[in-house]
Amino acid sequence: MRPLVEEMIGGPAWLADLAMIAVQIGAIFAVIMASAIVLVYAERKVSAFMQMRIGPNRVGPWGILQTTADMLKLLSKEDIVPRAAERRVWALAPVLLFVPAVAAYAVLPLDAGLVFADLNIGIFYFVAISSQATLPFLMAGWASNNKYALLGGMRTVAQMISYEIPLVFSLLGVVMLTGSMKMSDIVGAQRDFWFILIQPAAFLVYVIAATAETNRTPFDLVEAESEIIAGPFTEYSGMRWSLFFLAEYANLVAVSAIAATVFLGGWQGPWLPGWLWFTAKVVMMIYVFMWFRWTFPRIRVDQLMSFGWKGLLPLALVNVVVTGIGIYIAQQWRG
Amino acid sequence: MIGRGLVKGMSITLRRFFDRPNTVEYPEKKIPMTPRFRGGSLVLDRGRCIACGLCAMACPNAVIDMAAETGEDKKKRLTAYTYHAGLCLFCNVCLEACPVQALSWSQDYEAACYRREGLSTDCLAADQRGDKVG
Repeated sequence: MRPLVEEMIGGPAWLADLAMIAVQIGAIFAVIMASAIVLVYAERKVSAFMQMRIGPNRVGPWGILQTTADMLKLLSKEDIVPRAAERRVWALAPVLLFVPAVAAYAVLPLDAGLVFADLNIGIFYFVAISSQATLPFLMAGWASNNKYALLGGMRTVAQMISYEIPLVFSLLGVVMLTGSMKMSDIVGAQRDFWFILIQPAAFLVYVIAATAETNRTPFDLVEAESEIIAGPFTEYSGMRWSLFFLAEYANLVAVSAIAATVFLGGWQGPWLPGWLWFTAKVVMMIYVFMWFRWTFPRIRVDQLMSFGWKGLLPLALVNVVVTGIGIYIAQQWRG
Repeated sequence: MIGRGLVKGMSITLRRFFDRPNTVEYPEKKIPMTPRFRGGSLVLDRGRCIACGLCAMACPNAVIDMAAETGEDKKKRLTAYTYHAGLCLFCNVCLEACPVQALSWSQDYEAACYRREGLSTDCLAADQRGDKVG
């Protein structure tokens, strides 16, 4: 595509570079928007099928235009700003939440060579970027000047910080095995077998921690509609609210893509093209997260904390130690 | 084993995922009403009715307006029978009071209408038209 852009612009090389970056960012945005629209529909259908209902069936054939209609409604909704809100912080929060969600997409390898930025600290970048999502929740909760929003914001901080640690440790096992944080290296190391086979405990810890990181049931204490209305989102409406929603689904796709890349062999697979394998694995992971959501009830705050610190973190640590011992033994064997 | 309940729950939702839905797309598709359904309109079988008036007397809400005349053969015959669904509490006492089982419920569950008058049914006329029961 690069030569085509150069020909169209006809200017200096840096202009073409800039145009290429704009195209790539545009592509990331397009992927996020499209996946959010598709995923909201998919989530409603999956929940309906699991509850033996039909689900959306009015707008368009099989209701496929339902999310489009919802989006149009959100776009045309009145923007209500609470009078007591800390206005600037309040307005900034949804934007600040959306930015890291988008930025995380930069390192996802969709196919061999098809990655926005194949950083040599790819997985570290992802972890660092996704942990930026904690603060905007607290900002939204505090600036809304609403007790439910503040409760939800404080719950978010407690939950996301607690579960970030096992998440990082679960990825550490794979990084130790490959000796690289580069996404393409991690995928390349899985040519013969997927890392889920030798790191099953890490995969389990990752999936659980990722569910908590994306604030989905059974860890949706942040929103917890039956207790605190919608948590930090309570005072938002229209497009501001939908930015939260977009970020939520963007994060869901991102953690699923990381799971597919790190544990399920990324774009590697026989016969089919790489991007198709990658998409299939991501879709499967997203289905697993939806499956969790419509099976498990929400847990209590104390259960959340004790499970995270007493169950998940020790398991992740043990996995790191066992992986280290395993690597040492393998080296002795060879050496 | 830890997590057995979780696995069991997930297997149940997975099975439900592939099951046929229990609900239907309502206005287009409708499910047949069950035989013991109470509601809709009262259906009178004129051929069976002996115009004894027990149903109207049994009714706690005076839902049934009926009139009868005595014919030359000394037998009572209905001349009017109106059922006011707007007053009815669907207690079924009229059906239980009837000695000849001339009354039944229509299986029509879409009984909402825009005007109060629409709630009253002339059961004699309906019987003459041969409105189907369910």
